[in-house]
Amino acid sequence: MGDVPVELRRAERLVSTVTTGAEATGAEATGATATGATATPATQARRAPAPARRRRPLTPGRAAVGLGMLVLAIFIFGPLLWLMLWAFAGVWHYPSLLPQSWSLSWWREIFHYPQLVRSVGLSFTFAPIVTLVSAVVCLPAAYAIARFPVPGRRTLLVVLFASNAFPKIGLYITIAGLFYALHLMGTFFGVVLIQLLGTVVFMTWIPAASFASIPRALEDAARDVGASRLRVFFTVTLPLAAPGIFVAMVLAFLASFDEAQGTFLVGVPNYITMPVQMYSLVSDYPPQAAAVFAVLLSIPSVALMLLVRKHVLGGALARGFELR
Amino acid sequence: MKTAIQRGWYFLAASPPVVLVAVFIGFPIAVTVIYTLGHLGGANSAISSIALHQVSSNGRFATFGAYREVLTSHSFLADLVATVWVTAVSVAVVLLLAWLVALYGRLSDTRLARLLTSFAVVPLFIPVVIGSYAILQFWSYGGLVKTLAHAVGLPGFPALGYTLGGVVLAEVWVSLPFAVLMIGSGLRSIPDSAFDAARDAGASVARATWTVLLPMNLVPTIIASSFTGISILGSFTVPYLVGPTAPNLLGPDAAQTFQSFNEPQQAEVIAMVIFALAIVVAVPYLWATYRSNSGAPSAS
Repeated sequence: MGDVPVELRRAERLVSTVTTGAEATGAEATGATATGATATPATQARRAPAPARRRRPLTPGRAAVGLGMLVLAIFIFGPLLWLMLWAFAGVWHYPSLLPQSWSLSWWREIFHYPQLVRSVGLSFTFAPIVTLVSAVVCLPAAYAIARFPVPGRRTLLVVLFASNAFPKIGLYITIAGLFYALHLMGTFFGVVLIQLLGTVVFMTWIPAASFASIPRALEDAARDVGASRLRVFFTVTLPLAAPGIFVAMVLAFLASFDEAQGTFLVGVPNYITMPVQMYSLVSDYPPQAAAVFAVLLSIPSVALMLLVRKHVLGGALARGFELR
Repeated sequence: MKTAIQRGWYFLAASPPVVLVAVFIGFPIAVTVIYTLGHLGGANSAISSIALHQVSSNGRFATFGAYREVLTSHSFLADLVATVWVTAVSVAVVLLLAWLVALYGRLSDTRLARLLTSFAVVPLFIPVVIGSYAILQFWSYGGLVKTLAHAVGLPGFPALGYTLGGVVLAEVWVSLPFAVLMIGSGLRSIPDSAFDAARDAGASVARATWTVLLPMNLVPTIIASSFTGISILGSFTVPYLVGPTAPNLLGPDAAQTFQSFNEPQQAEVIAMVIFALAIVVAVPYLWATYRSNSGAPSAS
């Protein structure tokens, strides 16, 4: 029960609230966001197995925890919300706490620049391709490293790790020379390759840890009752490792979606993706334009986050980084 | 029991990512090393044909001329100090915050505690360009922090945009999720009984944390600090957008040396310095993982 995400349970309760009595929804939402210590009798009754909550006295310790949480929430979300405000701001001069006038003009404006529109399309083309290629290259290796006595497997993992420690900028300068020689500069494949490099480490490590954490006895049991190796893999192993694979694929998608430095070096001028475009927006356009673009660029990230949050918090990511 | 052919197949199955890394990361690193030592031909001929101001070994085994030039430059040394300082402070703050969040999540299994953990993980999913830009706007002159300070009568409150302090804030923001996940996952794997036993014997929460949870969760903490340190040392986007013109971190310094001054050899020397620092930071990580694995024989 402890691993069921808060949002999910809240959503379930919200659904039941909506279906049984819409008037309680408001109270429910405020109850959840305020402190969680109060709840209306209506919601209390519906939350049958939950123990009755009582208001605990406000001690200095609890006050400190509350204050700390507030500060952390502002630290994390403040900048993002501030950017959201900019996306809808018309005129906004310091030191006004809110924009002096509101406007949607940049939301229309942004789609009048063909280059910006094209960069959106390119980002959504590269990210799925890079994710798939990365999965094809890395997942069989992850399975092999987890399940078979691969000669020198510890060394393989450490080599992958070391490749992560070399600064990207230094790598890209030399790769530029290599790509010129291989005629990959300015090509679609070159961009896929450079983005792929940033995904290899976790696309191998995280699924490898997931495969390794599946008890052999489960697979052996399936084999004993007559299932073929392939069948065992697809009906037992793969579903159990799915959360780790899913997390790794989402991270690969986001890494590709986020990659700017290498894409800029290899892709210019043919393939300018959203994050590359973002650099020029930041310096050459008013804050509203950059804010609108930033909000657009965040939408897929936030959607994917909601999809994998449960598995990420459940430890699928953390397991991958403990070399075994 | 396993035949050589079988072992060969296993190796083959595990090799694609390794081959990819060897060709497109390992080989370039090797080429980089010999380039910084003054070998301008071969794989380096394309880059050296457009570069300015190179130091050549002229057929000798190696020259340290490019290193000497970079390592004695005042702007480089200022950037080096800034990089070490920002990395040290950011890692310390990230570890402290991550421990607080993870500890609260472990000890108080309430809805609120879980919500806090999900909050702390959000930056993992926000593109770094956007996070950096948002943080720059938020903490700069004209941002919310400065506006609030003005409203409560503190017009002298510093604007942290374009300062190294701002870089620390942004690096902490970007790095916090990974550390929270690592340390939180480690804490969850410690059985309740270990902590409860210390509490039953009369230890305070702080003391039980310090003497029981901290030593038992040392390996995840070291993993978190090594990865955080390495990513900050080599970071580009955060210091490029949020940091000052100079002194800034070595990542933007290397990029500028290459793109603005067209001195790839000097840029690669800077990259080698970052790499050397990263290796130092990685040593505790490798030690910790080897040590934690050498105890019990692996099941697989």
